[in-house]
Amino acid sequence: MMSNWQGWLYVAAVLIPLAAFTVELLFIRQLKRLNAYIATAAIATSFVLSMIGLISAVPSLLAAHHAPSAGKVEGEGKVDAEGDVVKTAEHGASEHHGGPHAPPFAWTGGFDWVALGGGIAQPSDSLTGAASPPTKPLVIPIQIRIDGLSAIMFAMVTFIATLVHLYSMGYMSDDPRYPRFFTYLSLFCFSMLALLASANIFMVFMSWELVGVCSYLLIGFWYEEKKNGDAANKAFIANRVGDVGMLVGLGLIWAYFGTFNIADINGGTIQEHGHAVSYGMSDPGLRDSIGRMTPASAGEVVSVKMPVVNGSETTLVTRKIPYWILVVAGLGIFAGCVGKSAQFPLHVWLPDAMAGPTPVSALIHAATMVAAGVYLVGRFFPLFTDGVLLYIAYTGGLTLLIAATIALVQTDYKKVLAYSTVSQLGFMMLGLGVGGWAAGLFHLITHAFFKALLFLGAGSVYHSVHTYEMPKLGGLLKKMPITAWTMLIATLAISGVPFFSGFYSKDAILANSLFFIRQRPEHLALFILPAVGAMLTAFYMFRMWFLLFAGEPRKAESHGHKAHGHGHDHDHGHDDHGSPVDHAHESGPLMAWPLLALAVPAVIAGYPWFVFPLSGEPVLEQLLAAVQPVGAVELGNSHMLAFGASLLIATAGIGGAAAFYYPGKIKRFEAANAAKRFGPVYNLFVHKWYFDEIYDALLIKPTLALGRGIAWFDKTFVDGIVNASAGLTLAVSKFEGFFDAYVVDGVVGLTSRLVYLLGDWGRMLQTGRLRNYLAILALAVVGLFAGVFYWIRPTP
Amino acid sequence: MFSDDLLLSLLWVIPLVGSLITLAIPKRAEAAIKGFALGVTLVTAALGVAAFAQYTGASTKAVASAPLQERAEKNVVPASNLPTSGISDTAPGDLVIRHPWIPYFNIQYYLGLDGISLSLILLTGLVSVLSCLASFSIDKQVKGYFSLFLLLTASMMGVFLALDMFLFYVFFEVMLLPMYFLIAIWGGENREYAAIKFLLYTLFGSVFILVAILMLYFWTGDGTATLYQLAANAPPDMAVVGAGPQRAAPKLPDGAVVPQEIFSAHSFDAVKLARVAAETSYYGPTAQNWIFMLFLIGFLVKLPSFPFHTWLPDAHVQAPTPISMILAGVLLKIGGYGLVRLAWPLAPAGAYYFSYFVAALGVFSILYGALAAMAQTDFKKLVAYSSVSHMGYVTLGLAVMNLVNDPRYYAYGINGAMFMQIAHGITSTGMFFLVGVIYERAHTRDLNKLGGLWNVMPIYGAVSFLIFFGSMGLPGLCGFVAEVFVILAAFNYDITLAVLAAAAVILTAGYVLWTLQRVFLGRNDHYKGLPDLSIREMIIAAPLVILTVVLGVWPNLILDWMSPSVTNVVNQVVKSPTARSYMQAAPPAVTRISPEVLPR
Repeated sequence: MMSNWQGWLYVAAVLIPLAAFTVELLFIRQLKRLNAYIATAAIATSFVLSMIGLISAVPSLLAAHHAPSAGKVEGEGKVDAEGDVVKTAEHGASEHHGGPHAPPFAWTGGFDWVALGGGIAQPSDSLTGAASPPTKPLVIPIQIRIDGLSAIMFAMVTFIATLVHLYSMGYMSDDPRYPRFFTYLSLFCFSMLALLASANIFMVFMSWELVGVCSYLLIGFWYEEKKNGDAANKAFIANRVGDVGMLVGLGLIWAYFGTFNIADINGGTIQEHGHAVSYGMSDPGLRDSIGRMTPASAGEVVSVKMPVVNGSETTLVTRKIPYWILVVAGLGIFAGCVGKSAQFPLHVWLPDAMAGPTPVSALIHAATMVAAGVYLVGRFFPLFTDGVLLYIAYTGGLTLLIAATIALVQTDYKKVLAYSTVSQLGFMMLGLGVGGWAAGLFHLITHAFFKALLFLGAGSVYHSVHTYEMPKLGGLLKKMPITAWTMLIATLAISGVPFFSGFYSKDAILANSLFFIRQRPEHLALFILPAVGAMLTAFYMFRMWFLLFAGEPRKAESHGHKAHGHGHDHDHGHDDHGSPVDHAHESGPLMAWPLLALAVPAVIAGYPWFVFPLSGEPVLEQLLAAVQPVGAVELGNSHMLAFGASLLIATAGIGGAAAFYYPGKIKRFEAANAAKRFGPVYNLFVHKWYFDEIYDALLIKPTLALGRGIAWFDKTFVDGIVNASAGLTLAVSKFEGFFDAYVVDGVVGLTSRLVYLLGDWGRMLQTGRLRNYLAILALAVVGLFAGVFYWIRPTP
Repeated sequence: MFSDDLLLSLLWVIPLVGSLITLAIPKRAEAAIKGFALGVTLVTAALGVAAFAQYTGASTKAVASAPLQERAEKNVVPASNLPTSGISDTAPGDLVIRHPWIPYFNIQYYLGLDGISLSLILLTGLVSVLSCLASFSIDKQVKGYFSLFLLLTASMMGVFLALDMFLFYVFFEVMLLPMYFLIAIWGGENREYAAIKFLLYTLFGSVFILVAILMLYFWTGDGTATLYQLAANAPPDMAVVGAGPQRAAPKLPDGAVVPQEIFSAHSFDAVKLARVAAETSYYGPTAQNWIFMLFLIGFLVKLPSFPFHTWLPDAHVQAPTPISMILAGVLLKIGGYGLVRLAWPLAPAGAYYFSYFVAALGVFSILYGALAAMAQTDFKKLVAYSSVSHMGYVTLGLAVMNLVNDPRYYAYGINGAMFMQIAHGITSTGMFFLVGVIYERAHTRDLNKLGGLWNVMPIYGAVSFLIFFGSMGLPGLCGFVAEVFVILAAFNYDITLAVLAAAAVILTAGYVLWTLQRVFLGRNDHYKGLPDLSIREMIIAAPLVILTVVLGVWPNLILDWMSPSVTNVVNQVVKSPTARSYMQAAPPAVTRISPEVLPR
């Protein structure tokens, strides 16, 4: 059980980088290069706090793991490894320490962020309209929850982040935006740690987007180059596509479970009326014999018991959730993970993200942020139904294969590492998908160490030679021994060579998929894909190492040593002054020491208590297994069954690479010939399976065209109607004006014209001549008399 | 501190008087005019803050923030019906005042504040101060400009204060006049077209509002129920509703009295009529549908929502920067305010009946505005279309009326809509200001010609990134809270619409990031040496930046005091017997949680 002080350690570990970020941002002009020290000190403090937390937790984790627990039978999913997990849904409490039924190791605390919807007088659910007491508000809390998984993740993330900070002080030292770089890093550290600490999926989503924006800012750090800005946009938007899925998951979870709390949804057991009752998704009633969640019928509505806290007592309330909602919600959450962890089909952003500074690639795009997707799948594991888990497994399998094939033919060593990352994340997803919860997350941790090491090594190489093109390099072993040897360690680890960390974790995944296909032989591909992928990994990683470090420096002109020279003829001619390797040198201590420091866990992170005879269960896996959720399969020591396969795979891969690329004297295979022989396949790989082209043609161009179409429609039609109606009104009023002028006014005008004419005519009478007047007078008198005598005739 | 009379009246009288005094300042004294106008807006904003202090202050809260209906009913208009007789505030300190104005038509001088209007009063105060500061660069007919500016401020304040619909309508119409001139005289090259379009379009919309108001006023019951029959249910002072020139009961040819007395509500009192609509079935389904649609169209023009939005891009592009800030920051909010203050409470059943249509319209506006924004090359037009997109969330949030399966989600919807009003008020004010800043320096708004500005103007770049990210809905910034509340609430209403609304965040990210890239990233020697933000500009940007962050991190700063008023609106809709009859007619397919166990 974890006590409060440990919880507060983690609160501090999260908030210290935030404080550092705030200071760095506000005083960036005053602090200048001091920003680097502040950022590094902050993350180092977080690391120390995380380590204290982890070390204090290890005994209870191990105890929990070794405690005899039902369901730890091989082949059957553990019913509930956490023992009895209860009462984490304490909204409004400022903090909460585990009660008598708390899990072996979990600390939850938080407060209400938003509480709305309270005081609605008549919820009309009853439809009766009868008065009922007002509702309690629906709460979105800010809560952190630290359990074994997050404690381990904290230690890993803060360790790598600290080293990357130190390394960056060397790597970025000449950059004019050096202070800004560290400001971004601090924001990233805060967001990433907040993500790990989040107790609810809403907070996960918030930090999820925040790490995304840090990634965006850092990929586009050298934004003067348009391609860097493009890469940043691509990363953010690909992530947003995934995040839409995540929002869908969030919305459905909130509407149907009535809470965001991950632990509540994952469930556990609670004491009700003296006996233990399972609730949430841990309810065995929802699961079949192997712990998987399958529907009884297509349109099934599942009853899930959810805890509701009323004052001090927790009661269970049944919620009706259609099975398809669970599937869609699971797929939605996974879509977010697909975006963040660069899985097929959203993997396209990660290789482009290498446009960012290399320390960023190491920290964000290899070790931590991109692994967040895997972490979340692990975190929310019980939510995923059988179909969703299979989808996850196949996504991982497909991703690892696609990425590995592309990595085979890259000439840019940073791109090789990028595709390798995508591929390894696929491994983890596959591991989780086949139920190997501890295995997948174990690989996450080991991979973080050796992949960060590889990237930092790559950065060290670049810092020295200023090119990413492998055909121009070679023979760096003598010039950069520390970089070369540490990278060799990491390469051995990722290739799955025994006694290096990657071997243990990859073996665990292979064992899990082997176990899975024994249960369900129809999914044989889920073993073949990772087996082939692992072999390809060993191949391309050693290809990279040989091309970079082995042999002699290649002259730019020499075709012989180029792997696939014919595709890159444009590289020639620029540098007749020899190889960039000529001026290579080992990097300074700020960059070399982090390499050495990372090499240690890259070797030992996977070790069992006793390294020989290669059979113990790795310590890290044991720690993880102590907190594994329902539905996960734990193989214990037995996963050494896959040992033979792993060894064979690694040997084949490394041997192949040596045969093609080791610059020895003996006759070897020519990569260029192979490329020629398999032309179409080779082209497919070189063009990254044409994903960018397809997306551009099918998604981006049509969207932009739709935008232009709508803008046109808006201008022409919607606004056209407005203008037309205005025009019509104008026309009507013109017509009316015409009518008014010529008809209505015409009558008036005619009358007046007549009067005028009469008057005008009458004017003629007024001549001013006396004789005319007299004549008229005479005429008038005659006329008058004539009239009088005609009408007023004297009566006879 | 102040009496209600003084406080509420001063909120609109001070800028009005300021507007008149401005006319008396000599034309040459431009600095004096600018300073004076700034002073007036500052005082107005301070009065808003004073009202806020009274509304939330520990000692005054109990009286001042009780439900608006409760407070309104304590302020009874004196029976004498003489305008001179009623200058006594029967309930001091409750931020409501009522006096007879045109007694014959039962028109009152009736002002009041609740959380919803108060949030917008504060926003108006802030935006008018900031846009007044931004107006300092105006150098053409300064006197006329600031006089009209203050008149505009007065009428905006009045709109948010008025609870008598006639008074509301007067303020609503008065607002058009200064806006018209401000665009038509101080605008861009095509200003006259834009100004007349704005004027006529808004007038067109207000006709619908007027008809709805008159319909409420003259409605005689739909033959199934009258106020008299419902007297048992009716508000205590329902007599006042029926007061005024009552017609004698008509007699049929055989001498029998018509059984249901012909009678009309005969009131412009928005609060009371809302209560009638919520608690009686006086306004039957048909009447409510009509009233709702009329209000809806009228206010959608103002909001604006598709298909009534095309005045907005023109008005924005042509209006001078400070007027764009007001237009986006406050004027659009009047549309949303009208919906939440009038359309929904006065016709809850109509709102419920049309909710799917309105929600779909909201989603369509979101997508349509975002796509249209993506295709713009004029920076200002792009921001204008983004407003159309964001205002779609307001419509959507108001319309996600699943009241049967846990109405608490609907409270999130309306709160999200109102929060969007505030958040958009802050970010769009900021965005138009930022566009103005670059236009003043680079003399172009063409996105294809801009670029590389971050290196040239680093502070400007940082502020822009923050404000645009806030608008994009990045967590930790204010736009996120609004968007996510609305989208989440939508999932409780209709999954398809919710998914579409959620998908819009991709488009939003697309156009925002693409814009930022075209303006700030890259390299551009053409604009080397442009000055960064001046002190005055930083003073304008600072509150917007701070609020964008603070409201995103701590939305309770607003929600704490705004949401009870929103809950009142939800309650009115939930209670409405007419709306309830719809709910009974179509119960949900799956009751997710049995109602007895909803947390009380």
